[in-house]
Amino acid sequence: MNDPSLNELVSGESRSAPNDDIDLDRVWVNVAAEVWRRHPGRLEQAAARLLRSPGLARALFTTPALLLPWLTASAVVLAVGTLVQAGAGQPLVWLIAPAVAAVGIAYSYGPGLDPAWELSCSMAVSDRLVLLTRAVAVFAVNAMLGLIASAATLGTHASTPAAQLTFAWLLPMTAACALALAVAVTVRSAVAGAGAGAGAWLTLVLAHGATASAASSAGGWLSAAALTSAVTDANLYLPYLAVAACCAVIVLFATRPRRGLP
Amino acid sequence: MNIELTDVTRTFGRNKAVDGVSLAVGPGVFGLLGPNGAGKTSLLRMLATVLPPSSGTVRLLDRDPGKPAARTQIRRRLGYLPQHLGYYPSFTVAEFVEYFALLKEMPAHQVPKAVAAAVERVDLGPRARARLRTLSGGMLRRVGIAQAIVNGPDLLLLDEPTAGLDPEQRVAFRALIRDLGQHATVVVSTHLVEDVGTACSEVALMAEGKVVFRGTPGELAARGEGHESGDSALERGYGAVLAASRRQAPTGKTVQQ
Repeated sequence: MNDPSLNELVSGESRSAPNDDIDLDRVWVNVAAEVWRRHPGRLEQAAARLLRSPGLARALFTTPALLLPWLTASAVVLAVGTLVQAGAGQPLVWLIAPAVAAVGIAYSYGPGLDPAWELSCSMAVSDRLVLLTRAVAVFAVNAMLGLIASAATLGTHASTPAAQLTFAWLLPMTAACALALAVAVTVRSAVAGAGAGAGAWLTLVLAHGATASAASSAGGWLSAAALTSAVTDANLYLPYLAVAACCAVIVLFATRPRRGLP
Repeated sequence: MNIELTDVTRTFGRNKAVDGVSLAVGPGVFGLLGPNGAGKTSLLRMLATVLPPSSGTVRLLDRDPGKPAARTQIRRRLGYLPQHLGYYPSFTVAEFVEYFALLKEMPAHQVPKAVAAAVERVDLGPRARARLRTLSGGMLRRVGIAQAIVNGPDLLLLDEPTAGLDPEQRVAFRALIRDLGQHATVVVSTHLVEDVGTACSEVALMAEGKVVFRGTPGELAARGEGHESGDSALERGYGAVLAASRRQAPTGKTVQQ
């Protein structure tokens, strides 16, 4: 046995009792526990500390493994993103798009497509919190793929749509969902979290729209284009990325492993 | 009492799946018998806090599952095997059990040992690292039982647990739930009368949403004297009680004890 932890498990049992009294079943369970356990990666450990729940962190990281729900949720998110691009300048589309995406993700991980949904509903970790976590996972992974696609197509005809989808939809929605999850975890209420996420999105669209409108029409009613400029203004993309990077650094610092703690 | 139901009803549209059930159940193995469509699964789903009652009161482990904080506390001490266990094909046996142990909010440092012990108790040790998609139906049922018992529940709810198990596994399963029933309340919903006879200390029989009999397996068997259909005394008792409930149903009476 080369693994020091396994040696320790077995020798620990041996030291604690005379040889005749070794409980082999117990020793075997200890060994099996070490061999079979899924060792979470650093990111999952950080997520567990951040979310204050190893269960939520596991739900976050296993989300893409549930293939059919994952594909359906991603398809809905990308379709809504495309719709948002097509409806540029139509505030209603912008304002209801997050709700449509949320409903799509809820359906994807609901009773129709998630095979273990019934079981999940009887768990101590709220199924709504799990759903919110999965929404963050769906948006974050798709946003990363969008960033890669935008970089890969830089300078080609495909660059603009990929960048618009990523910067105007996937990244802001990832941020809104992450905020919703953060609030939900803090106050232990998925409803409060969803409210905070929706509120943040609404504030973002309206506030920037108001600013743009004031600058262009000297205080008139919000124009449709101004209303949606928070997510269509290319000048804001770099500041968004800078804020996201700062947030990531803060999160990594706050969730760094501490000595003596698992 | 770990389960206290008072006049609990659950309706789906116009259909009354559970109709005015009152039960009080303490530690031990409790069998829930009845034909298909009797309301067993709806009742079990309410006990599992998956489905709220339409009316009546439910108290589980001395708490009210209608309150979010109490519901969370109940769920930490709950084990549930649904009738149709959905599973994630790409997960291994150990990963699946571990995932639900974490969602039950078990302390993370206790989870690996608890998973190993649960997987061993259902005799799936040799397949612990096998993907779920490679397992037979009986093995998947045992995976479901393993996730249900992983947290050492005080309230264990098993819906048709022996479906798909071979005779040897069923004998082992009955021994397992008898053992668990020494400390916890184990509710086994089944339409297989022999499971109840050998494993349960008490039994309730449901028909058309109502509890039409409650007593020991011996008392159920005694009801079958003179009844012709059925290979065993329990089956004859089961048949006799059901037949009596069907005769009395139109008048609105029940034979509930």
